[in-house]
Amino acid sequence: MSGFLVKRILQMLLALFGVSIVVFALMHLVPGDPVRVALGTRFDQDLYDALRERAGLDQPLIQQYLSWLGGVLTGDLGVSFRNGQPVTTLILERLPATITLALAALFIALVVALPAGIISAVRSGSGLDYTVSAASQVGISMPDFWAGVMYILIFSLTLGWLPSSGYSPLSEGVVEWARHLILPALTIGLISGSIITRFVRSAVLEALNQDYVLTARAKGLSEWQIVRRHVLPNAWIPIVTVVGLQLGFLLGGVVVTEVIFAWPGLGRLALTAVKDRDFTVLQGAVLYIAFMFLAINLIVDIIYARLDPRVRVS
Amino acid sequence: MRKAKTRWRITILLLALALAAAACSEGESVDVGEETTTTTTAATTETTAAPEGTTEAPAETTAAPAPAEAVLIAAQGSEPDQLDPHMTSAYASFQVLENVYDTLVQPAADLSMEPALAESWEISDDNLTWTFTLRSGVKFHNGRDLVAQDVVYSFERIIAEGLNGWRFGAVDTISAPDDATVVMTLTQPSPNLLVSIAGFKGMAIIPEEIVTDGSIGTSPVGTGPFRFVSQSPDQGIVLEKNPDYWRAGEGLPKLDGIQFVQIPDAGTKLTALRTGEVHWIDTVPPQDIESLSGEDGVTVGRVPGGDYHYFALNQNLPPFDDVRVRQAIAHAINREEIAEAAQFGAATANQAAIPASNAAWYLDYAPFGSGDAATAQGLLDEAGVSGLTIDFLVSSDFPETVTQAQVISAELAAVGITVEITDVDFTTWLDMQGNGEFGAFMLSWIGNIDPDDFYYAQHHSDGGFNFQGYSNPDVDALLDGARVETDQAARKALYDQAAQLIVDDASYIYLYNPDNINAWRNEVSGYATRGDNAIRFVEASLG
Repeated sequence: MSGFLVKRILQMLLALFGVSIVVFALMHLVPGDPVRVALGTRFDQDLYDALRERAGLDQPLIQQYLSWLGGVLTGDLGVSFRNGQPVTTLILERLPATITLALAALFIALVVALPAGIISAVRSGSGLDYTVSAASQVGISMPDFWAGVMYILIFSLTLGWLPSSGYSPLSEGVVEWARHLILPALTIGLISGSIITRFVRSAVLEALNQDYVLTARAKGLSEWQIVRRHVLPNAWIPIVTVVGLQLGFLLGGVVVTEVIFAWPGLGRLALTAVKDRDFTVLQGAVLYIAFMFLAINLIVDIIYARLDPRVRVS
Repeated sequence: MRKAKTRWRITILLLALALAAAACSEGESVDVGEETTTTTTAATTETTAAPEGTTEAPAETTAAPAPAEAVLIAAQGSEPDQLDPHMTSAYASFQVLENVYDTLVQPAADLSMEPALAESWEISDDNLTWTFTLRSGVKFHNGRDLVAQDVVYSFERIIAEGLNGWRFGAVDTISAPDDATVVMTLTQPSPNLLVSIAGFKGMAIIPEEIVTDGSIGTSPVGTGPFRFVSQSPDQGIVLEKNPDYWRAGEGLPKLDGIQFVQIPDAGTKLTALRTGEVHWIDTVPPQDIESLSGEDGVTVGRVPGGDYHYFALNQNLPPFDDVRVRQAIAHAINREEIAEAAQFGAATANQAAIPASNAAWYLDYAPFGSGDAATAQGLLDEAGVSGLTIDFLVSSDFPETVTQAQVISAELAAVGITVEITDVDFTTWLDMQGNGEFGAFMLSWIGNIDPDDFYYAQHHSDGGFNFQGYSNPDVDALLDGARVETDQAARKALYDQAAQLIVDDASYIYLYNPDNINAWRNEVSGYATRGDNAIRFVEASLG
């Protein structure tokens, strides 16, 4: 297990290094830079050159990259070109909102997807199965920018039950925290849930078609005992995989939903950084997102080994 | 069974750990005042201002004690990049800083310059020495008295930082002979000096100590009606009343504080105003103005603005170097139609730059037709041009430019001109414009007051924004002359001549002046939308 862990962590570092090169190169390949943005319509070549020099943007790219990488290795992600604040601070102050939304959305997704997926697989071909399939199809097809706006129109504007935007930290009170969280979490939770439902259904369905299920039936076990003891243990792996992917995606910030609900998460930070060509902030944000993805993948792999001894052997 | 339980435990444990991590790092609370005003956006709204006319207000769920404080919640569409007035060029930053900082003088509601930190000023007979007398008893938010040296320091910093240094082009020396006097000597007469050095809060007077300790970008200290309290992604930017404000004798400011929250989606921002979650919003989508104007509980502030929308053809590229081709295009378009499509009528078509509301400098001049295909075709035939294609550079960061280009595309099709729209993000747009990679580009200019702002950078051969490649020695001479002409009538005459040449030559093809629009709940009083788009809450109150 420890050898496996070391190997995986080394792979992870290598992947992060690759990500750092790609994001750095991409940012510098697209036209525009933060100085150009700051000058805007009052452009002046001499001033532009002077400000670029002051920001260190006149250095050769490789040198800029190396000095940035040197900082990253010592835990310093640099400072924002836009406002001179440390990138680490900017990311950290947006993490609570991002993590809150990601977990709440995942919670909603699982509460919907696990029962729905399992039931529709077990009752495959029934009216219930078709209903679940149709509902999840609707959920997947419903874009977040539309669903979010609809929720705001219904629950904020018409019914007046919930606030339309903003984030209230848990430390300010559970009620306000929850009131602000419900609509954005519902927006992405139902979409995520629809995706996960389909995976759960097909994973359970596949396990149901195995010979050992036939044996279990022959033994006279009830259908629910079969599902619990023989089907689910074998269906967990694909389910955990897709749940891990969804969580990694959510923890990277969900730009559209964050914009609609004025949610102060990482997605908006990254979006602004792209618009303003705030290289350091975007590099830091992408590095963080890649790290989260890889870390969750690692956790998923560890969970595999716990769930299925066969994974450990191979 | 036992194994299954273990698995569930692992899953639950992981979820719990993650939740705990999230909970541990929950953001800090924000103190608006000494009282417990650490409320959220919605809670503050509910407790400070029961929205009138709407029964849907989500008011029943909070049990928060009602703070007596009048805190106005203002929603902005974009996030301030930083709070250093000399370094930012973001309008969102200036919406906040307008209420924190002061300038030496300032634009009044009619955009004439009125006293601010300087209560009076004198100009020498040769127009080359300006002497400003500072108001006495003005304090910075950190308690220190404002002295003339602060003005000198601020101006020197603006010049050194570069972004607005060009505004001091005619200034030779700046000095402070005593604590209450600032003297500026000029290299040439500058009738527009006041607009240049105090037309907006980018020219703010700051205390040196916040530059020395590096806090200016995140924690501004000014002399304005409100003091900066905090900024966070959760709470936005919180300001509180400055009890030592130099207009405190008039009972100003009336509000106890302002909370600027950022709501990037225009539809959500509008909903937040309708439900009473916020008191004020910085813009209204043009298509919603009409419906919002008729609603109870909401006021839409709308005044003709000083901005103008235009497009310019690349005169370095044939056939746009031929003035007849540019004029043909200016004849072929229909400005009313463009303004209606892009702004839903919240704009005034104009063939020149300066709006009628800027009475001192307005020139009524409209030599072109409106959708006049016959005249346009005649000019094109004369120039021997047919089958023309224009590579039209726009940016969806300013969505109206895309709409306008689509309308123009349809209008120019009538004279056989094809418009190919290149839609990029604004940073790329600036880059392509700077590199001359366009047949035409479209944008707007905002916040102009003095005619020099309208013409010099754009149309002088040496102008910093003359990317269309316009060069007319007559225009250069007129603009140079007008810069130093101190007689108002004579100066107006020079600008009128220059404007006619610029319009005739179609250096820019002007389209319209949009209205400036804000909206607020009816409980807000003492606020008015301004022609220069400055957001001033100094006289605003709630209740």
